[in-house]
Amino acid sequence: MAEQRVLVVGGGLAGLAAAMKLAELGIPVDLMSLTPVKRSHSVCAQGGINSVNELTRQQGDSEYLHFDDTVYGGDFLQHQPPVKEMADWAPRIIDLMDRLGVPFNRTPEGFRDQRRFGGTLYKRTAFAGATTGQQLLYALDEQVRRWHAGGMIAIYEGWDFLSPVLDDDGRCRGAIAQNLVSMEIRSFPADAVILATGGCGLIYGRSTMSMACTGSAASRCSKAGVKYANGEFIQVHPTAIPGADKLRLMSESARGEGGRVWVPRKPQDSREPGEISEGERYYFLEERYPKYGNLVPRDIATREIFNVCVNEGLSVEADRQCVYLDLTHISREELDRKLGGILHIYEKFQGVDPREEPMKIFPAVHYSMGGMWADYERTVEGGLVLGSPRNHQTNVPGLYAIGECDYQYHGGNRLGANSLLSCIFTGLFVAPSVQNMMGSLSSSAHDEKYDTLHRGQRAVRQLEHDNLLKREGGRENPYVIHQELGDVMTKAATVVRDNDQLKDAIEKVNELGERIENCSLSDTGNWTNQNVMFTKALRDMFPIAKAILQGALARDECRGAHYKPKFTMPGVEADDPAERRRQAEAWCDAFEEKNRKWLKTTIASFDKEGEPTLSYEEVDTSIIPPRPRLYGLVGAEVIEEVWKGRQANRNGSANGQSEPAPATAAATS
Amino acid sequence: MIAPAHDHHDQPSSFEVRVLRQAGPGEPSHWERHQITYEPNLNVISVLQKIAAQATTADGKDTTPVAWDCNCLEEVCGACTMLVNGQTRQACSALVDKLLADDPSGIELAPMSKFPVLRDLVVDRARMFRALERVHAWIEVDGYGDRGAGPRESQEGQEFRYPLSECMTCGCCVEACPQYAKVELTKHVDETDEQFEKRQEQAYDESFLGAAAISQAMLFNEHPTGHMNAGERLEALMAPGGLQVCGNAQNCVSVCPKEIPLTTSIAKAGRQTTWHAFKRLFDR
Amino acid sequence: MDSQANSSTQSFLARNDFLIRRLHSLSGLIPVGAFMVVHLMVNASVLESPAAFQKNVYSIHGLGSLLPVVEWVFIFIPILFHAIVGVVIVAGGMPNNNQYRYAANYRYTLQRATGMLAFFFIMAHVFHMHGWFHADVWLENVVHPLGGAQFKPFNAASTAGLALQGYVWVAVYVIGVLACVYHLANGVWTMGITWGVWTSAAAQARASAVCSVLGVLLAVVGMGALFGIRASGSGEKLEQAIQAEDQMYESKVASGEVKANEHKRRHEEEAEKSESEDDLAALEDQSAGATQRE
Repeated sequence: MAEQRVLVVGGGLAGLAAAMKLAELGIPVDLMSLTPVKRSHSVCAQGGINSVNELTRQQGDSEYLHFDDTVYGGDFLQHQPPVKEMADWAPRIIDLMDRLGVPFNRTPEGFRDQRRFGGTLYKRTAFAGATTGQQLLYALDEQVRRWHAGGMIAIYEGWDFLSPVLDDDGRCRGAIAQNLVSMEIRSFPADAVILATGGCGLIYGRSTMSMACTGSAASRCSKAGVKYANGEFIQVHPTAIPGADKLRLMSESARGEGGRVWVPRKPQDSREPGEISEGERYYFLEERYPKYGNLVPRDIATREIFNVCVNEGLSVEADRQCVYLDLTHISREELDRKLGGILHIYEKFQGVDPREEPMKIFPAVHYSMGGMWADYERTVEGGLVLGSPRNHQTNVPGLYAIGECDYQYHGGNRLGANSLLSCIFTGLFVAPSVQNMMGSLSSSAHDEKYDTLHRGQRAVRQLEHDNLLKREGGRENPYVIHQELGDVMTKAATVVRDNDQLKDAIEKVNELGERIENCSLSDTGNWTNQNVMFTKALRDMFPIAKAILQGALARDECRGAHYKPKFTMPGVEADDPAERRRQAEAWCDAFEEKNRKWLKTTIASFDKEGEPTLSYEEVDTSIIPPRPRLYGLVGAEVIEEVWKGRQANRNGSANGQSEPAPATAAATS
Repeated sequence: MIAPAHDHHDQPSSFEVRVLRQAGPGEPSHWERHQITYEPNLNVISVLQKIAAQATTADGKDTTPVAWDCNCLEEVCGACTMLVNGQTRQACSALVDKLLADDPSGIELAPMSKFPVLRDLVVDRARMFRALERVHAWIEVDGYGDRGAGPRESQEGQEFRYPLSECMTCGCCVEACPQYAKVELTKHVDETDEQFEKRQEQAYDESFLGAAAISQAMLFNEHPTGHMNAGERLEALMAPGGLQVCGNAQNCVSVCPKEIPLTTSIAKAGRQTTWHAFKRLFDR
Repeated sequence: MDSQANSSTQSFLARNDFLIRRLHSLSGLIPVGAFMVVHLMVNASVLESPAAFQKNVYSIHGLGSLLPVVEWVFIFIPILFHAIVGVVIVAGGMPNNNQYRYAANYRYTLQRATGMLAFFFIMAHVFHMHGWFHADVWLENVVHPLGGAQFKPFNAASTAGLALQGYVWVAVYVIGVLACVYHLANGVWTMGITWGVWTSAAAQARASAVCSVLGVLLAVVGMGALFGIRASGSGEKLEQAIQAEDQMYESKVASGEVKANEHKRRHEEEAEKSESEDDLAALEDQSAGATQRE
């Protein structure tokens, strides 16, 4: 048997963490990435990384509460065992990153400093200035470089993943990829392929995501049979800087460090913000959510900003939607120390100093909670079995998905500073699973017997490519189609969703999907042809776009980032105590009914043409029973009271019996 | 849009963009003119996107889209470095309004001159990553198991390391460096890819490290754990193509988009290599 | 690492690049720069009086037969080493001042330009005053016909002054001395970075200010020396200088402090011959006058 190797696709946090951990386990790795790994999208993460720490522990915090915040923030849509495992690992992961040299901000005594992030009441977030993602990525990049120098990791930068190679039994034996410079197409035999290819923000045209985040790798896997889960859950970040080419993120840490969101009470008040007195300012988040203030979970902050601009007409500017994010009450020196990086971005791209003048921001597409379906193996205690070959394996054996491109950790809505954690965690955690899976194989994908398989698959991709170059296209321009796709998606499937609009959007996207087949290439050369690579990626945006729209259309409820005004559950407004009680009971009944119907993972399976079909899967909520998310709801107290009463009764009757685990992915084998 | 730093009423309806194009390595280059419709708040990336969508030159001839590198578009990934009006910088943070205010005749885009051109504005900066390997730019941890937190660090220490750690290997510092000479090899006909790569790496290893890599060596020497391997890094800085090639023109620090104190790193490297050389001379 | 394995195949010079560059940096200060400072200060003592200058020259020539050894080991060879390595460095640089108009970048280019200027100037200067070698064949057949070896140590101010009467030579000396001074002052500043003396931007700025002041002072000293010596080469001052020098010579010979050595004194014929190149009527007159008076 030839040497076994692993192919890691994607060089962001997750991919790098997986590669270095595999190398440590003695497994040779091929690491493939669209961009030089150091330029991966993880560099854009700004605010920090969450874990319970010594200080929060003393205030009563624990791994369990981090886990609880994460599933509560995610509206209970995630399977709980992986999340629990992640929260348990979090302190160790931050310790490891600390050892790798990440320059975390320090307290005067030399300990890691922490800030508070959205969706929690504890200061759990460790940070390195306002470029935490960059710093974490570089630390992993450095370790991978170290293994590369030692010969354990081969790096293929500037390669685009075209498809997984599946053998007759449907097991993944490697991948086909194309070089962005030479346009060479070759096969990469591998005994396990780990996809760590990030999000799909480019489907929305402009987002806070990088230009490499097309989602094409996930889409190409879906065509090979990999299921895509919870596609409709797209996080829209409340605060981004609008721009012609990109919507640049303004980190949640700006609010974590005391930034306040407001609009003038007088619509489109033309005065300079500094001249508007406190009384004339509407701090709408603080007024509506006194407990969390400006740090409500992202989906809520986004909706409130959207609402105050669109429905209440209080946008700061008349011809453009935006609100103030104000840091001017904080000292320059403190701002520079803690937020220097992001303030620099605002200054550089807007030409205005945010230390002097409030920033103007608006929500933007930011993160895909959904992604490739991935498995796990649960322990009796509710965590994951370390090293189980099933952990993070997709429904295609030998093909794994980690990081943003899997769906497991964030449910209906991701909490700030949890994505860096989930990326590094999944990267480290998947390595022993892959090792054990490979140990059970009796062959290597580099064995001669697989040569024909790889040659054949390569030839298919080569033919596709040649045909695309030769194609007599119509006059469709791929860049224009991309723009139209982005507009349709942004309008229909972001903050507020409406079924009629979604139906329209599906029709338009289908139409665009047909038009893309009529694209003419303005470059038909075979050297660094970005035109053809973009066209391929654009074509592969359609299956995921359709999965997002159809998932959103089907899901008639509000959950996390998925919000349909027609299916909201109004709070308790009555004054009479008995009536209040009755309404609260009714509310709780409705809530239970909603969960029975919709507390399910949306699973999209695709045909060869990339048309999705939806099915649903139970969610393992056996550790923390779902409870209503009551942030800012009218009558929240009475609903909570009723709900707690019901829970107490239930626990009493179920006394001693553990909840049965759902039969699907969560089942222990 | 958000109010720009100056008003636009005197802006033209369109402006010219000249791009230095090159079909591939070793091919001749030529300037191509494009006419772009003016909009407020454009940056050079959106200009290149417009050029790609237009696919027509200023003279109305069909052309292939200009090839360029980019990813994050917020000046943290370092991909889109190029020469904008002769100056090395990131295209994403090069704002058109400002460029036209400085030079109303248009905008000139060229690839970086110190790296092999792959196509148009795309260059191969592998040498910079290779330099990071030369100076052992990493912390030699025992492994990735749980061993508790890293060493405690003073705020002062963190405030020294953090700016150095912001280096995104964009290449501005070496592009502007008069001591950093371009290394470009051509592949022999009878050479395999691996052989060519090997030869290229060898050529890179003998050439100047550049400010970015020198500064990274200082970043890791400053870390308590990294300090344990400081000697290895200093040896690399003293090897051929090392620190000594620096000519103190200090352009690196002037052009660095992250304002990294590169010349402080260089001087620190000077100090550390001085002590290291003495120790080597007298301690063994 | 590969890079270390490769180094065995590289040339001796490439392998020892770091050491060579550090020696180059060091040699610029010690002994070359230090020598230059002493040289300019000694020469500037002519401003006090030609006799004071002469006295200093005697103390240098007190080394006797060791002097050529000292000259070669501590002055000529280090200068040659500094110059040759310097030329290699200059050849490896690609100035880009048109693109990057920063002050430090101009200083970088100027450092290289003044280095080259200084090199040519020093070669010319040593030939002009000293003649490079003191073998008779060389002096008679090459140096004297070309107007070199003008300086006579026992008539220090007067012979040097006479040699500096031509405007061309004055211009050469002004440019040459200023180039040397800039090269030293800026060289001290870069040396502080090279060796890691001043590291932070603020410290480098302070060092730069100090080096600038030193440079200006040294330039003043240099110009003082140049024009002081030049002044001793004409008119009444020349006469006084010769008188003082000759008196000092005679008393030193009489006391046995100095051995009589006509090679180190001025000769009328040579003085006349020396005008052959850039002859100026004025210079001729003065020399003639001086001859007459003697």
